[in-house]
Amino acid sequence: MKKNLMTVLAALMAVSLTACGGASANTTASSAAASETSAGAASSSAASSSDAANLTIWSPTDKESVENWWTEKIGEWNAANPDIQVTREAIDRSDSYAYDNKVATAVTSSSLPDIFFVDGPQVSYYAANGIIVPLDDYFTADDLKDFVPSTVAQCTYDGKIYAMSATESSVAFYYNKDMLREAGVDVDDLDSRTVDNPITWSEMRDIAEKCTTADHVGTHIIMDHGEGLPYALEPMYISNGKDYINDSGDTAEGYVNSDEAVKTSAFLAQLIADGYANIEPITDEFLNKACATMLGGSWDVSVLSENADFDWGVTYYPVSDATKKAVSPCGDWSAAISKDCKDTAAAGKFLQWLMNTDNVATYAAAIAKPATRNSSYETEAMAEYKNYPLSLMVEQLNNTASPRPRTPSYASFSTKYAEAMTNIFSAAASDHKVDEAYIKEQLDSVAADFTEDYNTYYAK
Amino acid sequence: MVKSKAIKKQSESVAAAAFVGPAFVLLIAFLLVPMIYTVYFSVFRYQIMRPNDITFINIENYVKLFKDPDFWHAFRNTLYFTIVVVPVQSALALALALLVASKTRGVAFFRTMYFAPQLTSMVVISILWTILYNSNPSTGLINSLLTSLGMESINFLSNPRTAMNSIIFMSAWQGAGYQMMIFIAGLQAIPSSHYEAASVDGANSFQKLIYITLPGLKSTIKYVIMITMIQAMKLFTQPYVMTKGGPQNATKTLVYYIYTEGFQEGNFGYACSAAAVFFVIVVTMSLVMKRLTTTKE
Repeated sequence: MKKNLMTVLAALMAVSLTACGGASANTTASSAAASETSAGAASSSAASSSDAANLTIWSPTDKESVENWWTEKIGEWNAANPDIQVTREAIDRSDSYAYDNKVATAVTSSSLPDIFFVDGPQVSYYAANGIIVPLDDYFTADDLKDFVPSTVAQCTYDGKIYAMSATESSVAFYYNKDMLREAGVDVDDLDSRTVDNPITWSEMRDIAEKCTTADHVGTHIIMDHGEGLPYALEPMYISNGKDYINDSGDTAEGYVNSDEAVKTSAFLAQLIADGYANIEPITDEFLNKACATMLGGSWDVSVLSENADFDWGVTYYPVSDATKKAVSPCGDWSAAISKDCKDTAAAGKFLQWLMNTDNVATYAAAIAKPATRNSSYETEAMAEYKNYPLSLMVEQLNNTASPRPRTPSYASFSTKYAEAMTNIFSAAASDHKVDEAYIKEQLDSVAADFTEDYNTYYAK
Repeated sequence: MVKSKAIKKQSESVAAAAFVGPAFVLLIAFLLVPMIYTVYFSVFRYQIMRPNDITFINIENYVKLFKDPDFWHAFRNTLYFTIVVVPVQSALALALALLVASKTRGVAFFRTMYFAPQLTSMVVISILWTILYNSNPSTGLINSLLTSLGMESINFLSNPRTAMNSIIFMSAWQGAGYQMMIFIAGLQAIPSSHYEAASVDGANSFQKLIYITLPGLKSTIKYVIMITMIQAMKLFTQPYVMTKGGPQNATKTLVYYIYTEGFQEGNFGYACSAAAVFFVIVVTMSLVMKRLTTTKE
């Protein structure tokens, strides 16, 4: 009986192991079948598809127009390149860190796709850990001249290009003209601002104060409680004199916890403490008329254009009263080749094509974000970026954009900073006042955690 | 004859192994092996992005863990949640079970309604309650009710003093339906003759509850308390969706702490040490609970 039991258990084990091992074989078979279908089932095509490089791409699931773009473009590529067949998997982003978690688990099991999309500031993190490979062979210095400088900077680590993005992003100050007029704010003045003369923090605060009523708050500063915080708020810190981390990406001490950073955080927290901004903003708070102004993304232009039933405008990112230095956020998801890619030459060739002028333009139009290539703005797909309000985003990208810190410890920093700012805002909302000592304590903790992470894993 | 018996016995053994085998394999693959790996990796410096570059550091991760105030904060929060939610949820479930256990017409509707939250994903429920709890009365239904009654609106989830209790309330509401069904099954196992005899003796409803129902449910109550406690110790979804462990770490639980350390910050070896300690805590608490709920026969 024991012998029989062991036989059955061994058989079951063998079956389950076969099932695991068989997955890749099945995938290969099905993808071969798929490429055969797309090639029209000709015998020569079938022969070439068996020798074809099969590339897989991961990118976050997006709205219908973007999903359709991918389907169309991959079909176009596969038809024209029987030797390099591409499949895309849309990965649910879910919230600000879920996609990164998926990548992290794939790293531990060495099952990364050939190409995957990475959020801008994570490029350094993945590059420093050898998860993605340099792309200098596929994007020459001449190619890079056509890309906006902030994109090239964000995708560069240790002097090498590790990723390339088709789209950029920016954040600006949106305002509901109806609400502002009702509150007695000079809307024409806001409309007339230029990149050299943006509103200051105190002006932003005055507008928020005037516009706060029982029905809505004056402004909106919390994009989300994850990466949205360091992304949207970093220009405030730089404008006030100190970035989160130094230029070489190895020191946060004296930066994120500097006096300037404490003052910047205190300014933001005061907006919460005074009730001018919600600590728990609802989704689409500005669109739903629950706030009169907001620090909103460039992607909000299309949302508002399609859905807003009120008169709205947008002006440049506010600057510190002390320095008047104009800075704006930037960065978007970029494509990178993973360390697990078996045919980097094929992946590089595909990326070159993916990032050509037309593809960048049509992708940027589909996802409603500014394109990274200057030449793309000359295409019909990007025509509307020549006019306000989208032209304002492009103007910011070319003049005031500053990429997020390029440091291998960014993942750790982002989490800790978001946590600290949530704590600071929560304390301000609960106590209706701002405690700078508490802010300093929280930011000290961010600096200490950054230092520990950097020293543990990356310091030479 | 003897031969056919032997064949029959042999085929029964094969059938039994076929039934047990898959579960056995899965148990090893998804429980035992990960547990062993967790303990193994807990003594290494292991950045999640560098699986091929790990360094043995002995018990350094454990030393750091026990010195980390965030870990102790998460431990206290988990303990608080468990201590409050277990009795509240179990009592609520028992009360609901007693209400809907009767054979009155229409009770099935309420039974279904009370059980309904169990059929919905905790993520969905957490999102809905985040909206219900929103501090803005024009969005949050609860604050809308409070302000319409002339009361001040409350920052349920953004105030460290109320955030965990808000999660406890929601969790008890969501989880009570499942325990209610277990209690109903327990109630049906109590012979009706006991109640009839008590009625003949002139016992009122309260006396029947104290002297018949509760003693009759003793084993069920023990089981419910044990599973609720283990579930409570694993609290993750609600703080992840509703508060991200905040505000001011007020809802950061042990599992959330392990998740952020391991996946968001990439300290995989360190997260493994926290997971190993968490396992010991859960086992210890289960044993203590078992001891407390075990009475001498």
